Parts: sequence; C-alpha cells; structure tokens
Amino acid sequence: MVRSATHTVPALHAQGLHVHMGSHQLLHGVSVQLPAQQWTAIVGPNGAGKSTLLRALAGLHPRKGWRGQVDLLGQPLGDWPAKARARTLSWMGQNEAVSQELCSYDVVMLGRLPHQAWLAPPSAQDHAIVKACLHTTQAWDWRHRPLAELSGGERQRVLLARALAVQAQVLLMDEPLANLDPPHQSEWMDTAKALVAQGHTVVSVLHELSIALQSDHMVVMQMGAVLHQGATDDAATHAALEVVFDRRIRIRQIEGMWMALPG
Amino acid sequence: MQPRHFDGGRLAAAIEMIQRLREGCAWAALLWALVAGAVHAADVTLTAQKDDRGRPVAMAQPPQRIVSLLPSLTETVCALGACDKLVGVDRYSNWPKNLHATLPVLGGGMDPHVEAIVALKPDVVLLSNASRVVERLEALGLRTVTLEPRTQADVHRVLHSIGLLLGLPPEQGAEREWQRLQAGVEAAAQSVPTAVHGARVYFEVSRGPYAAGPSSFIGELLTRMHVGNVVPADRGPFPRLNPEFILRARPDVILMGNHSMQLAHAYPGWATLDAVKHQRVCAFNAEDSTTVVRPGPRMDEAARIIARCLVEKAPRRAP
Amino acid sequence: MSNVSKAVVRSRWLAVVLLAATAVLVVLGACVGSTGWESVWRMRSDPVAQQIVWDIRFPRTLGAWLAGALLGLAGAVAQGLFRNPLADPYLLGSASGAALGGAAAMVLSGTAAIGMEWMQRLGMTGMAFAGAALAVLLTLTLAQGVQNSLRMLLAGVVVGVVLGAVRDMLELRYPDILQPMKAFSLGSTAFIGWPACLLMVTAWTVCALAAWSLARVLDGLTLGESTAASLGLPLGPMRAGLIAVMALATGTAVAQTGLIAFVGLAAPHLVRSIVSVGHARSTLLSSLMGGVVLLTADILARWLMAPEELPVGVLTALLGGSYLLWLMHRGHAVRQARG
Repeated sequence: MVRSATHTVPALHAQGLHVHMGSHQLLHGVSVQLPAQQWTAIVGPNGAGKSTLLRALAGLHPRKGWRGQVDLLGQPLGDWPAKARARTLSWMGQNEAVSQELCSYDVVMLGRLPHQAWLAPPSAQDHAIVKACLHTTQAWDWRHRPLAELSGGERQRVLLARALAVQAQVLLMDEPLANLDPPHQSEWMDTAKALVAQGHTVVSVLHELSIALQSDHMVVMQMGAVLHQGATDDAATHAALEVVFDRRIRIRQIEGMWMALPG
Repeated sequence: MQPRHFDGGRLAAAIEMIQRLREGCAWAALLWALVAGAVHAADVTLTAQKDDRGRPVAMAQPPQRIVSLLPSLTETVCALGACDKLVGVDRYSNWPKNLHATLPVLGGGMDPHVEAIVALKPDVVLLSNASRVVERLEALGLRTVTLEPRTQADVHRVLHSIGLLLGLPPEQGAEREWQRLQAGVEAAAQSVPTAVHGARVYFEVSRGPYAAGPSSFIGELLTRMHVGNVVPADRGPFPRLNPEFILRARPDVILMGNHSMQLAHAYPGWATLDAVKHQRVCAFNAEDSTTVVRPGPRMDEAARIIARCLVEKAPRRAP
Repeated sequence: MSNVSKAVVRSRWLAVVLLAATAVLVVLGACVGSTGWESVWRMRSDPVAQQIVWDIRFPRTLGAWLAGALLGLAGAVAQGLFRNPLADPYLLGSASGAALGGAAAMVLSGTAAIGMEWMQRLGMTGMAFAGAALAVLLTLTLAQGVQNSLRMLLAGVVVGVVLGAVRDMLELRYPDILQPMKAFSLGSTAFIGWPACLLMVTAWTVCALAAWSLARVLDGLTLGESTAASLGLPLGPMRAGLIAVMALATGTAVAQTGLIAFVGLAAPHLVRSIVSVGHARSTLLSSLMGGVVLLTADILARWLMAPEELPVGVLTALLGGSYLLWLMHRGHAVRQARG
C-alpha cells in the first residue's frame, strides 16, 4: 500500500462539529482532518453518524442544523461560492430519489452542471468526459436506457459515473458499493486508487470492511463521535475497529492484505 | 240661566265639529296620500332611470330590436306591449307561450351564444348583472341594460325602467300596468277567506330545505295574502333551514316548488307534521312553480295561484 | 452520442408538428360557432359576419390555445418541481383561490356594496387572478418557504380545502351566484376578447422565458435534492422563481377561462410519451401540447352540439383522460409482455 506524501493542507477539516435534527443530536463535537490526495474510509456500526458526517462535510445540512467549523482545502465552507464549491467537491449520496425516467447518459451529463455556463448546452468536452466516465464504470453499454430498466448494480455504476463526471478535486461517496457484485467492487477500488494517484481526494463511507482496510486513512466512528482517526495500516486503527464492532471481528493479514474476518 | 245639561244644540255642534274634523282628516289623508304617492312615484321614476350598474337606461331613440336574456325582463317587455320588438330570447323565457317557436333561442342567461346575439344586430340587450357576458357584449359594441327584479318594489322599478327604455310615458305604460297588477293582487287577497287569515305557511323553494323568507318575492306575496311565514324575517330571502326548525314551527300549510320535497320522500320526522298528515300540502307543477317564483309582471297570476292553494288547503280557524 | 441528439431532433419535429396543428386548428376555430360556416363565407360583404369572425371567433380560438399553453407550462413546471407525475398546476391552491375571487366578485356586483368600487372595476377576471395569487402566497406562508416540497404540497391541499369551504359558505349565503359559479367551474372560452388575448400572450412570454432559463434546476432536481444542492444549484431562489411562474401562468389562465381540468396534468405526460428530453425543451413542448389539447377541446365543444356549447372542462377530461388511459394500458401490456 503506497502512501502518498501527506499534503500540508487537509482536503477537509472539521472542528467541533455538532449536528442535530430537531431535538435529536446526531454528531457530538466531531473534529476530523481528512488528508488531501489520499483515500479515506469512514467506518463504524449502524447509526454511528457516518452519513451525517459526510453530509456535513459536503455542506448539505440546513444552516441551523449544525454548528462548528468545516474547512474545504483550508477555506471555510461558507466562504466558497456555490459553483466553485460544486466544481471542487463532488458528493454521491446513498439512496437518493433519482427520477427513473432519465436515460443513463443524461444522468451522467447532469454531473457536468457545475462546469456549464447558465444557459449553455453541453460542449464537446462535456460529451468526451461523460463518455470517459461511463467507460470507467463500465456503464457505456446501456447509456441510452432509462434508469428504471437497469438492475441495482447497473444503476449504481451510472450514479458513480455521474459523481466522477464532476471531475472534482474532492469526492465524497456514501456507500458507493451498494448493490455492486465483487468484481465491480474491486473495480471501484481500483478507480479510487487511480484517482488518488492522479491527485484527487476520495472520502467514502463503507460497510465493506475488507475494502475499507485497503484505504490510506481511516475514521472510526461510534454513536455520533469519532473514536479514532489515523492511517489504516496502524495497529491502533485495527484495535479501534475491533472495539467498535464489539470484538466480533478480527483484523488479519492474508497474502499481504489486511482483511476483516468474522470473530 | 240655561240648565246645565247636555242640550241638543251643543250636541249638534259637537257632531258637526266631529264631522268637519273627519272630513278634514280625510282630506288631509288624501292629500298626504297624493303627496306621498307622488313622492313615491317620483322616487321610483328616479331610481328607474338607472340600471343595476348605475348606467342610464333611456336611449336616444327607443330600441326597435331587443334581445332579452332574463325571463322576467322578457315578460316585462311583453307586458308593456313591445313583444313585437323582441328578436331573441333565452331558453328559460317561457311566457308568452309561443316565443320559442317564433324567436331564436340564444342559450341561457349565464352562457348565451355571443355570436348569435351579435348576428341579430340588436339595439339593446337586456340581462342580469350577474352574468359575465355583460362585459363581453359591451366590448363588442352592443348596448346592454342590466336589470334583475327580486322583490315587488323591484318589479315596480323595472316596469318603469323598461317603460323608459321603450319611450312609453309612465301613465300609459309602466304605472298603468303596475296599477293593474296591484288590483289583481288585491283581488286575489280578497279571495282568501278571513277564516284563513293568520295561518302559518311554509314555502319550500327547493330541496335542502331552502325556504322562502318574508323578504323574498314569494314572502311578500304571502304577506299580502294575510298569512304568516314560519321563517323569521331576519333570515334573508332564501335561507337554508334545518328540517327540525320546520317541525318545531308546525306550519298550517306547506307549499312546495317544483324541485323541492316530494311527499313520498319527506324529511325524516316530517310524517308527524299536521300539515303532512292532513295533506295540507300544495305541490305546484313546473309551470306554476316558475310563475310563483319569478318576480315579474305576472305577479297577479302568482298571487292567484297562491290564493287558490290557500283557499283549498289552509285550515279554517274557528270564528 | 448520436442517440442523444436523436432525442433533440425528435423534439424539434414534435415542436414543428404541434405548431402546424395549431395553425390548422386556429383556422378551424374561425369557422366554428353558433352561426356556422356562413359567417366566414359572408365575411367580405357583411360587416356583422366580419365582426363575428374577427372579434368573437378569432380571439376565442387564440385565447383557448393560449390558456392551454399557460396550463401546459404550469403543469410541466409543477411536475418537475414536485418530482411527482400526478402534480398539476392547481396544486398550490390556485384553483380554489381563483374560484373564491370569482365568487366574491359576483357577490359584490350583485349587492353593489359601497366602497368596493375598486373591486368592481377589477371585474371577475381581476378578482379571480388576485384570488389565485393570494392563495399561493397563503400556501407558501403556511409551508414556511419553498424548501420542503412535501410541506408545500400539504399546505396547498389545506389551503384548497379551506378556501373551497369559504366559497361554499358564500354560495349558501348568496344562492344567486350558484349558477354563474357552476359555469365558471366548468370552464368556457366565451368571454375572451382581444384585450384578454394580449394579456395572455404577455403572461405566456414572461412565463416561458422564465421557465426556460430556470429549467436547469428542474433537471438537477431529478437527481434528488441533496445531489442538486451539491451540484451548486441555488435551490431556494430558483424554486421561488418557478413557483412564481406557476402561479402567474395558472392565475392568468383560470381568470380568463375558469377552471379547466386536466390540461396541466396531461400535457407533460403526452410530451414525455413521445420524446424524452431535458426540462428546458420538455417544458416548452408541454406548453405547445397544452395549447393544442385545449384548442381541440374548445373546437369540439363549440361544434358537437352547435349552437349549444358543451363545457370545455368536460371535453378536456374526456380527451386527455382517454389518451392517458390508453397510454397506461399500452405501457402495462408492454411491461407484462416483458415479464
């Protein structure tokens, strides 16, 4: 696992983040630093607040629902103009209600919105990028079929392509492997690593621990707080993982790769 | 001196004084009536000069081609002898009887055939102010007069308005017709025996029950027939009542319009009503119904229909 | 990529077809009315016939198309904004508001209340429009802004029901207005003159331009609200703009023709069944489709039982509804066959 040199400015930096919905407190004073040009995995049991943290880092919570500070590439999130932020930060949600009538190509093309002038039609470059992204996620073959006609895995790959089409420096993805079968899961992992190698930052909330263990950096969450954050290969990180899952897992190295085995 | 008893001379003088007083009063009353009548007539002549929108009714030349989209206005025009000037009527104008056979029917008052009206090239269109088509016709360059009689006073005023429109002097046209109508209503009222006076009547206009209150046209006729209305005066012309209220009010006679309760489908609990048990119910057919409900120059006929019903069905009070 | 532009080419063809249909229907509309074809033949010699065709039939025909175009536009915006294929332009209570405004206008004109002259000058049209606009404002106030679609929908339903009840009370108190209100509810193009057409053209131009420039947010919303926000779209102000477009278009149409059902609901579906393009194009196509549907219904309403007129709303429901039923049946059969 090659670890790229840590950039001085973290891609995303949250300080004292409190998020609540109504009277229910979702995150309790979370502080994280997500290093740039690395792949960070956010893991934890159900209800730990992983998706909430990701949404807060993307700036998607209503303003009165959270307090604290979030910096994107060193600048407070609120200071970023909307379009510049949209070009810099790409977010892919979990179970978003997507209109099923659009064809895959149009869905991916919507990812180019932050780059398009207000009333301008898609340019040749937009078309080229959409094509490349669809090839990357191997969804090119059904680019003309509406989402309603695709299987869960095919649909997920189209949505991934949409997130890639933004060509943002920072990618935030919530459960990107949902509905994907193992070959496509490892393809996603390869894509993430390739992006990191090209200088992007990837942050993903993952349930699949074995895949998460291949990341560069890990944030372990429990009950709305961060239990541990650090390099994935660290023994401390492994220990935190075992704690957070009630010691029902064992982290072991098999053929040079760390795996999570049921305990 | 003269004896202090009431002697014949003083009596005669007293009687003469009383007689003089009576005459004087009678003259005063007559004078008062004349003045009041004149004032009232002047009143109605004044208000009759404007239609329901406040626009003057009279035209430079009396119209020769008239379209009427309201049945009471059709009847008023014909009552004033200008039936031959009508070139088109609405579908609800059913009197005089042969109108629909001879004249084009132009739809209803609310949804008339605008094109057909324009094609007839009328000098004036008579219709109710409630219709949206007034603005449309005005925009197309047609002259409109909006009138809608709702009470007896309205009938008087509308008679004068149409008379003004037709260029008839009031004594020969509107006022003469009005006096005739009044005489007819009086005659109908006279035909109601005294034993029936004060009977309490319930007039149902349509199923609901929607009753005719004393301030409506029908209510006014009932008052002139010397009978009472179970509906209190402060309820407006056509209140929708709780059937309980009628049950409690125990009317002596029930009059039913065409679209109202049929005896076979009476409201729950009404079978116990005296009027229902003893069949003191007048059910008007469609034609009589429209005559009674429509405020217009057939109010004498309306009064006759109601009087006939009261004579037949109302209970006689023991003297 | 060629398939994507195929959809664009198809949408252009659809636009051409709809415009051609409009031209044919306008000519047909000028020939149909309670005085029949004669008016057209006699146009040259008879000034009254000319007035009939020019001042009555033409504005009615164009007015019907414009009202349908406004409703189709509003319907497309509503379905995109609420991401619900059952959405129609009357969702935010504008229908009930317009009907209440019309009822109030009728009551005032009948009772000649003093001090309300300015209301009387507005006339039924102005009052209906004001009623629609106020109802939408009330809905937005109740929903506390445009952020939450579900809250807006609920508030719209509540406002619609409450205003409808107020109107029922007015009709009870003044039963004279029952018949004209019934006529208003069924819809009619009989009251449209040239000034009304001018008004509708202005409204349509404004709404079409605004909807076209704001269509981007409708496209983004198809991915879900959070994703749309993450793509940098200013959801709040753009939503408010689209709701204003909806209210203006619906209010204008309803004020002139009364409550015509189904055009706003059916037109976007009809367009989507033929071609699948982004919201900028599909909104404008829905507008053209709405115009064609309403104009067809209006011509049939004037023609089928001439010289009597059928209520337009009944015919739009029959036309639009039958076509949609057939579409659903066909779609269902295809899905069944696919297994």
